Amino acid sequence: MMKHKKTIIQIADVSMRFRMTDDRIMSLKEFVTKSLKGKIGHKDFWALKHISFDIYKGEVMGIIGRNGSGKSTLLKVISGILKPTQGNVTCHGNIVPMLELGSGFDQDLTGRENIFLNGAILGYSEEFLNQKYEEILAFSELGEFIDVPIRNYSSGMMMRLAFSVATVVNPQILIVDEILAVGDEAFQAKSRARMMELMSGGTTVLFVSHDLNQIKDMCDRVIWLDHGEIKMQGKTAEVCEQYVL
Amino acid sequence: MKQKMNETFNKAYLKKLFLGFLGIYILLVIAFYFLIGYQLHFRPSRGNLEIPTAESVTVELTQGTVVEQVFAVEIQRLESIQIQWGTYMRANAGTIHVELYNLHDQSLLMQQTLDAATISDGMVTTMSVDTPIETVYMVPMLLRIYSDSLPGSAVTPLMSATAEEDGYTLSFNGTQVQGMLCFSASGEDYIWTGLHYWEFAIAFGLIIFVYLMIVYWRWRCGKHSVLINALSAIKKYRFLIKQLVSRDFKAKYKRSILGVFWSFLNPLLTMIVQYIVFSNLFRFDIPYYPVYLLSGIVVFNYFSEACGMALSSIIGNATLITKVYVPKYIYPLTRILSSLVNLLISMIPLFIVTVFSGLYPTKAYLLIPFILVCLAMFCLGLGMLLSAAMVFFRDIQFLWGVLTMIWMYLTPIFYPENILPDEVAWVLKFNPLYYFIGFLRSCVIDGVSPEPVVYVQCFLIALGVLAVGAWVFKKSQDKFVLYL
Repeated sequence: MMKHKKTIIQIADVSMRFRMTDDRIMSLKEFVTKSLKGKIGHKDFWALKHISFDIYKGEVMGIIGRNGSGKSTLLKVISGILKPTQGNVTCHGNIVPMLELGSGFDQDLTGRENIFLNGAILGYSEEFLNQKYEEILAFSELGEFIDVPIRNYSSGMMMRLAFSVATVVNPQILIVDEILAVGDEAFQAKSRARMMELMSGGTTVLFVSHDLNQIKDMCDRVIWLDHGEIKMQGKTAEVCEQYVL
Repeated sequence: MKQKMNETFNKAYLKKLFLGFLGIYILLVIAFYFLIGYQLHFRPSRGNLEIPTAESVTVELTQGTVVEQVFAVEIQRLESIQIQWGTYMRANAGTIHVELYNLHDQSLLMQQTLDAATISDGMVTTMSVDTPIETVYMVPMLLRIYSDSLPGSAVTPLMSATAEEDGYTLSFNGTQVQGMLCFSASGEDYIWTGLHYWEFAIAFGLIIFVYLMIVYWRWRCGKHSVLINALSAIKKYRFLIKQLVSRDFKAKYKRSILGVFWSFLNPLLTMIVQYIVFSNLFRFDIPYYPVYLLSGIVVFNYFSEACGMALSSIIGNATLITKVYVPKYIYPLTRILSSLVNLLISMIPLFIVTVFSGLYPTKAYLLIPFILVCLAMFCLGLGMLLSAAMVFFRDIQFLWGVLTMIWMYLTPIFYPENILPDEVAWVLKFNPLYYFIGFLRSCVIDGVSPEPVVYVQCFLIALGVLAVGAWVFKKSQDKFVLYL
């Protein structure tokens, strides 16, 4: 059934190894003394083992699994933050990762300056941001506070701004680590609606969640990760059924 | 991450861009020819002869006495001869004749008459010609000195009994003696690269042209090349770089009343303090000392600021690097660029002080961008190296603090370069900042371009350091995220 669809992300035999040293070496002295004593021992930890799958254009792919099963590592590998130890990832399209909101914010800049800074970090173009600026401002409900340095913002205001910037795009590939619902109840409802709108709007979505109901609602296919390996992949209903058991 | 690059450009745009590159190259070649001007063709001769330290008098230069010095120099265009005199600490009188002959064809090359009454003890007189003499390279010459003074009121040329050069002979009234007259010869040499400037320019232009053709052809075939990748990265990340630079710049002067004005004031205040300290305490005798100081300070400040900021660029952006994919070289690059904005602002006080010192802008000022580009490349390379090392060993930041201090004292910022003892002086040759500062001072203080070889030195140093830094950075960047 999927055969005629165009592959947008190809994950080919991806493995990710972390070296777990007993103590991370942070100084030259430690390095020298420890290597002289022959104490640089490390255990290998494979966070991902031989993961291969394709994601097709326009589908919503869910990833489920317990804590520590490698979901976040996989998202980071796909979005290019981590380079896999083995294998490779091929993407055809621009990715907007929604892993953590507001990570590019600078406390000393105003909300307005941060919209442009954070937008640039997420890969938006200048014309696009100029065009969408009003929309971002309206969605964030910050009003005149937009010209205040964000160190004076409440955490709710900050999250509202971050969410507004992050979701203004129409990306080809959207990576979501849990649906983000921020702010007060009214804003939570609004932001949830925005996420749903984004995810159902024909873009390819990679979606990690612990909420099985959300997964059932949204996803076309699901991958179940367990200890860095794909335990099962296939239709949403089948995988979820097995996962609950 | 493999993404299709070919979509970034269309044919017409790329063609226009490449033609633009060639156009800029041609303009630069022509501009350099005129801006470097005289210095492109001639440089102070490597064969210039220094005056040996005077040890004794020769003979009293009375009527009938002749002092003759035979010598040869490797100077392509001989311009002047200098002689040092002694007076026996008395008032003298009479006329002194100084003549220079070519011993091959016995022709008279230069002559000068001096009034003995005007010569003071230890004085150096100069004999020169308007058009440099081009026929005496390695040709034996005779310097003959005689006068009509009376005994008791005659001067004497000084000599050094221990100085020796091959083929040099000193004689008094035809009798050869041991030693050498206290004299010097100076002139210019032709610069080989300058003589062949256009050939070089055309050859290099052709190389660029062929390279661009190859890149274009490869692009048409859908293959990657370094240039296309770099161009599409610039296009893609231009906005991000702009945003990060303006962030750095705003963050630097956040909540300070004078703000950007500090970029202007800081080097000026440093200059004033050092000027007061060094011109009163050490009494360095350097012409245009404030300009000399300030040009050194401006360059060194940029260097230490840019490298210091680049050093922490990866660590400081750890939250971003672990959350969003952005090419990591963007971080050191933006730090270098934001410091560059600072440097440009601090050039303003330099020009103001220059004008106040009585120096006026010359066309050599237009050569300053060249050295700024080299300096930025150098700092980028070093910054990438440091930022990569910093991720793995946090000790680097403390080491770097000490190293910058040592580096500052080994750079002739506030002292003249000739006060270094010989054992330390060779270090200067390995100090890139010495070349950069020297270039800037030549443009600002002397108002002329440095020799062409200095351009090559500066550019190669910058390119070499950049290549090493970029290579180390590229090799280690995938591991950064694991150590942050």
